[in-house]
Amino acid sequence: MSQLSSRHLLGIKDITSDDIQLIFETADNFKEVLNRPIKKVPSLRDITIANIFFENSTRTKLSFELAEKRLSADVVNFSSSNSSVKKGETLIDTVNNILSMKVDMVVMRHSSPGAPHFLSRNIKANIVNAGDGTHEHPTQALLDAFSIREKLGDVAGKKVAIIGDILHSRVALSNIFCLQKLGAEVMVCGPVTLLPKHIDSLGVIVEHDVQCALAWCDVANILRIQLERQQIKYFPSLREYSLYYGVNKKMLDTLDKEIVIMHPGPINRGVELNSDVADSEHSIILHQVENGVAIRMAVLYLLAGVR
Amino acid sequence: MPILLRSLRFIDSEKTHSPKDYVIVDHQVLPRENSNIDSFDEEIDCSNFLASEGWVDLRCASGEPGEEQRETIESLGELLANSGFAKAVVMPNAKPVFQNKNDVQFFLSKTANWLTEPILQAALTKDALGEDFTDILDLNQQGINVFGDGVSPLSNPDRLMKALQYLKKFDGILFDQSYDPMLAIFGQMHEGIVSTRLGMKGIPNLAEDVCVQRNVEICKYTGGRLHFQTLSSAASINSIRKAKSEGLSVTADVSLYQLLFTDEDLVSFDTNYKVVPPFRSKEDRTALIEGLKDGTIDAIVSNHQPMEFDAKHMEFDLAQPGMIGLQTFLPGMVKLSEELGWPLLISKITSGPKSVLGLEPTASFGSLTIFDPKEQWAYNKKSNLSLSANHPWIGSQLQGKVKMIFNKGKLAKF
Repeated sequence: MSQLSSRHLLGIKDITSDDIQLIFETADNFKEVLNRPIKKVPSLRDITIANIFFENSTRTKLSFELAEKRLSADVVNFSSSNSSVKKGETLIDTVNNILSMKVDMVVMRHSSPGAPHFLSRNIKANIVNAGDGTHEHPTQALLDAFSIREKLGDVAGKKVAIIGDILHSRVALSNIFCLQKLGAEVMVCGPVTLLPKHIDSLGVIVEHDVQCALAWCDVANILRIQLERQQIKYFPSLREYSLYYGVNKKMLDTLDKEIVIMHPGPINRGVELNSDVADSEHSIILHQVENGVAIRMAVLYLLAGVR
Repeated sequence: MPILLRSLRFIDSEKTHSPKDYVIVDHQVLPRENSNIDSFDEEIDCSNFLASEGWVDLRCASGEPGEEQRETIESLGELLANSGFAKAVVMPNAKPVFQNKNDVQFFLSKTANWLTEPILQAALTKDALGEDFTDILDLNQQGINVFGDGVSPLSNPDRLMKALQYLKKFDGILFDQSYDPMLAIFGQMHEGIVSTRLGMKGIPNLAEDVCVQRNVEICKYTGGRLHFQTLSSAASINSIRKAKSEGLSVTADVSLYQLLFTDEDLVSFDTNYKVVPPFRSKEDRTALIEGLKDGTIDAIVSNHQPMEFDAKHMEFDLAQPGMIGLQTFLPGMVKLSEELGWPLLISKITSGPKSVLGLEPTASFGSLTIFDPKEQWAYNKKSNLSLSANHPWIGSQLQGKVKMIFNKGKLAKF
């Protein structure tokens, strides 16, 4: 198989494990390219990609832009704060305006779950979901799994605990779908109020004690508290959260094994993750960032192949 | 104007009767053997058709005044007649809401030419905000007997209690779509496995369950007539069942489309499926069916809520809730007819809603809905009579067509 089964990447839910393996193999090649003195390949020459971000983003946007430029694509960027996008017509109009400039692919981040699905029904370009509200963030999950594979040799059979604000996280859902498709066991851990009530229906283990989660797992993926998406109070204070759900080195020292620490960033240092862990030898956080470019190159390259 | 309807199969809540000839004369429909008329102005072959007493819808909306782009009162009237409804309760949620004498007069003047008999649900509270009461007795003097805030639940229990007490003076009926808005806050769809997979904030059954239970208790305390609209959850059906067994004066209805769709239909983020209450689980649907069978639920409603293209063509969480449901009503019933049988279905749109409205059953009928349960037709922008098209079946081939309606002494053919 040398092509993806879909012409869009809307979510991990919609792709197959073969698709994921193909993305990984392609990313392996691009990672090698990224370590060359000349890091650019002409694969997407003549392809124009629009990065349309209706929500703030620094690292994801930068990572996509770098991936696009490494592939020699032409890149246009559009950013708009969420407050100026109140109506769907704005989304459609904005994207149609950009497409009328003969754009081939759209990378979109939006605060509404399903916004890229809505778009995919209304425009002809390939769409890459760069995060849709609390739904999915597929390239983050791919780069997370790719990083686990790189560090531990394989994802299958590994135990991965996703710790933190699961309710408001698009990373959590995509990670659960991706890791399960690759044969890993997944646990979610956090305060009951920050876990979707029916999360166990996804076949994950549910835990509320972080120390127990750390003792169980091979990999701990710590998620950020999404204060900007919490319209109502879910826990008493950040202080209490950091005391009972934050991860620090002391906790890791009590374990009788070494575990891998991941975080999709940006880190609220001292809240969900202490610096003594984020910057320790356990952490592969910066590898995740590096792998993000290779994964995004792979996704864009493969989607261009099914245009 | 004697008209002979030949070989018509009449359905009532008991059974589908054998084909028989019926006569329309003097604003009434009679079996031919009960009339002594021999000459007719018109004879119609109805051998392929089913018929029942004219249908009653307890919940539909127009956009007029204020949002005429969605539906005007005129277009709603045409839709209701074409969809087989002889009576219809229209919700007050226009802009401004129907809440005073002038509003009632405006509504009556606009509906004067309707073939369907309009029944206005006047707002119980000013601007349907759930706080200060409208001039209830004054509205009753205008002929209003049904009160409620339409699409807005009466979430303040004190208001509900006092309303039930106040309405007792004239046996007024309070209609309420009971759910707790705070437990549904920011919710976009039913909270369950599907919402978890879609990363969407859910509306738990709990939002309806606790409110229905509470309102039943308030009804027990006050007496009065409380009608629960558009029930969707299994536990709330149980609450109504228990209340009825205790002899409380409560009744209930369900949207037809709650019986046709579940939360699994939302996986593609199609905003046409965004409704309130949300489409719930298969288990809830099963409980609704049981509720219909054992009489807990009295009526099936269209819950026709038109929304213009621009209110729906957008991201799911920004789209307005609501679905049109009149022209699709019979095709929806056809889909359910095998599971529930025509007599039960017909009872939920004739005798059931009539008893909710306090109308006594009569031996002869002043209205008749005649339909072909087998006719196929294309539901598309051309055939759609609504000014809105917010229904997932647009573009589909549907089965079941209303052919004629007799009401107010007039026979209309479609």
